[in-house]
Amino acid sequence: MTILQANKIHKSYGNKFTKQEVLKGIDLTIQKGEFVSIMGASGSGKTTLLNVLSSIDKASSGSILIEGNEITGMKEKQLAAFRKTNLGFIFQEYNLLDTLTVKENILLPLSISNTAKEVAQQKFNELASELGIEQLKDKYPNEISGGQKQRTSAARAFIHEPSIIFADEPTGALDSKSASDLLNKLSHLNKNRKSTIIMVTHDPVAASFTSRVVFIKDGQIYTQLNKGEQSRQDFFQDIMKTQGILSGVQYEH
Amino acid sequence: MSINQLIFRSLKKNIKSYYLYVFALIFSVALYFSFVTLQYDPAMDATKGTIKGGAAIRTASILLIAIVGIFLFYANNIFIKRRSKEIGLFQLIGMTKGKIFRIISTENMMLYFGSLAIGTFLGFAVSKLIKLILFKITGIDQVASLTFSGQALIQTVLVFAAVYVFIMMMNYLFIKRQTILSLFSVTSSSEEKVKKVSILEIIFGIFGLALIVVGYYLSSKLFGGDFSEMNELFAVMIIILASVIIGTYLFYKGSVTFVANLIRKKKNGYLSINEVLSLSSIMFRMKTNAMLLTIITTVSALAISLLALSYISYYSAEKTAIDSVPANFAFTNTKDSDLFAEKLTEKNIDYKETTIPVLQAEVDISKVLVSQPEGFNLDPSKTSLAVVSDKHVKGVNVKKDETLFTGYNDALAKFMALKDSGEVELKTNKESISLHYLGLDSPTIVSYLFTSGGMPTVIVDETVFAKLAKNPEKDIQRTTSLYIGIDIQDDAQVKKANVLFADLDFQDKDLNISRLDMIDSNKANMGLTMFIVGFLGLTFLITSGCILYFKQMGEGEEEKHNYTILRKLGFTQGDLLKGIQGKQLFNFGIPLVVGLLHSYFAVQSGWFFFGTELWTPMIIVMVLYTILYSIFGVLSVVYYKKLIKSAL
Repeated sequence: MTILQANKIHKSYGNKFTKQEVLKGIDLTIQKGEFVSIMGASGSGKTTLLNVLSSIDKASSGSILIEGNEITGMKEKQLAAFRKTNLGFIFQEYNLLDTLTVKENILLPLSISNTAKEVAQQKFNELASELGIEQLKDKYPNEISGGQKQRTSAARAFIHEPSIIFADEPTGALDSKSASDLLNKLSHLNKNRKSTIIMVTHDPVAASFTSRVVFIKDGQIYTQLNKGEQSRQDFFQDIMKTQGILSGVQYEH
Repeated sequence: MSINQLIFRSLKKNIKSYYLYVFALIFSVALYFSFVTLQYDPAMDATKGTIKGGAAIRTASILLIAIVGIFLFYANNIFIKRRSKEIGLFQLIGMTKGKIFRIISTENMMLYFGSLAIGTFLGFAVSKLIKLILFKITGIDQVASLTFSGQALIQTVLVFAAVYVFIMMMNYLFIKRQTILSLFSVTSSSEEKVKKVSILEIIFGIFGLALIVVGYYLSSKLFGGDFSEMNELFAVMIIILASVIIGTYLFYKGSVTFVANLIRKKKNGYLSINEVLSLSSIMFRMKTNAMLLTIITTVSALAISLLALSYISYYSAEKTAIDSVPANFAFTNTKDSDLFAEKLTEKNIDYKETTIPVLQAEVDISKVLVSQPEGFNLDPSKTSLAVVSDKHVKGVNVKKDETLFTGYNDALAKFMALKDSGEVELKTNKESISLHYLGLDSPTIVSYLFTSGGMPTVIVDETVFAKLAKNPEKDIQRTTSLYIGIDIQDDAQVKKANVLFADLDFQDKDLNISRLDMIDSNKANMGLTMFIVGFLGLTFLITSGCILYFKQMGEGEEEKHNYTILRKLGFTQGDLLKGIQGKQLFNFGIPLVVGLLHSYFAVQSGWFFFGTELWTPMIIVMVLYTILYSIFGVLSVVYYKKLIKSAL
């Protein structure tokens, strides 16, 4: 079942004279329960694509259907309402409110949807134990590590069971141990909860945890790789090769 | 880009965040200039004889400059801290500190002296209006003319230039002390980072609340008769001040955080958007802002109390006069009163004459006093009181061995409260007459010439009065033993009668009283005080409102990334704005409510020294203050609205 369908997405910045086209007609289809990563060099437009797909930024032209809802024509208020029920976000810089405790941060999306207190409590307990952050619940963000912060951020993205979760370089600020820890947790949640995750990354290791990798170059889709039945190691090698061709420079590890 | 262009550009960019600062500056300059103009105005000299106008206004202008100076200093402090990043950047690209200082100073100079010029001009323009207001409330009949005083201009420019130099010196020190690194992190280090609420804070919080309650309790007891010795009274006043101020500080430091934390604990992690934006933010900011909020609260309370008290005096001017003189005109000999009555008949003004013989006698009231007064120059067993016969008092008839007191001043009654009944001794030259004291009646029946500033008048039976008249204590008798009151039947004609009164050549000019003149002179005195306190209060209100607003601007900018996150999560601008409104209700409301409470208790404890009406004038002052103060809260919400809109 298709959960997100994007057709001919264009996005440009600046006025008539200084116009710069960042996205040049991208078509993308994502199925329910997929864990997709978007890769590309700096400036290729991957973050812009994520922002446009997630309704944070407006596309200049093209259509985006999420669960059959056309979001490009929505008003600011509708978009906000759409985001709070259908979308979840994980950002590179965590984006936690530092005046709130871990638990308060995680429960934030539920407070807009007027979820009953007991239900919220139960959801929190489940998710926190899955992500291993129950002990941190009364701590403030400045008292925990980067990996813990990112897991908190992930918990916040999953708590209201959105149809799609957008992750923008979630491992960008983490050390390799915390990064693979987080990615394991994400793919675990992806399998267990059948949630759809779209992740932007420039790290081939992170991308190898996903089931499909979309490569973007200069605002257009360059190619796509499917993991299929191969092991994570083999998939990683494939990604490395493609990235090497893409950038013209061999990736050294 | 040249330095000049740089200065011009940053000025253009910053002018938006400075607008309130510029407004406050223009307002204070305008007010100062018109005050100083008034001070040098020849028209004020003319009135100096009756009211010490010039001196009072000079004092006011000094106070004004003190308030404004502190405000400018503080506001500048906030602004320079906010620009530390910019300063750091200039340093990073190799600008010397001297050069940066020059940029900042030039920019400030344009802003400052621009406002000074506009302010002076406005001050000149409104000085006539201000003069008009002054004449109106003091009841002076004079035409307010527009005069320009060069002396006033020079003084204004000099004083504000001195403030400017002082501020620039502070800026210089600030820039001098900073390294590139510390400049970049100045905002984060000045605000205390999120910390757990400690037990100590909870104790502080409770202790603070307790101190405030103790202060309030003492203030309600202050003049209740429990503390009757002067030294004791002063000690209690100082204790009240100290406990309330320290209590307020601890309240901000601990209690607010403590209460907010309790609410959060109860929510068990499940916070609504309103609580996210208000509770959690306030919880951590209150602590760092405790000192500032305490100062603002204390001075607000002071301003409101002074405003309320001076308004009470002004408002009660008429009532006070009626309490001290029971008729429109009071005379002490028949010759003068007959002369006046004749004139009134001539002009067809209806009047009613009341003649009461009044004697002084020593009365032993020690047995009817609730407590013995100490520290006063008074012996209750030999109190000199005015005595009249019940024959001359309408509606009163006491028996031979009875007496009724009437017209006791409220303030005095607080110090020396009387019991409901008891025994008093009336002493004549020969004997001592024992009388049953029946109680206290409120109307005044003779003028203040006889009542030693508000002591009650003793009403006795005619036979007792006759005994006293035969053998009075010679030493304590007044120059006259006759009170003649003339009441004009038609209130509209009192003014006309007063003109007649002023024109007549009386025998005892000094002892004859026109109540209308008395009211006018009360109003003129109280009016000037109210005028000065009013404008000082307004200046304080505007400057403290501005400071809170600037603080909010800084907070908003720091929290802007939170709004970005929240909007990404799907909260609408409306959701966020609702939360912000809640937050501002606290930020502006807490100092206001605490200030109002403080001033309520302050006014409550001693208002009776100032007048006879408490509620109406106090409520008018409080409501006005609240409305004006709220404007700044609304402005800050408008600012946040823009900020939230631009957050995504």
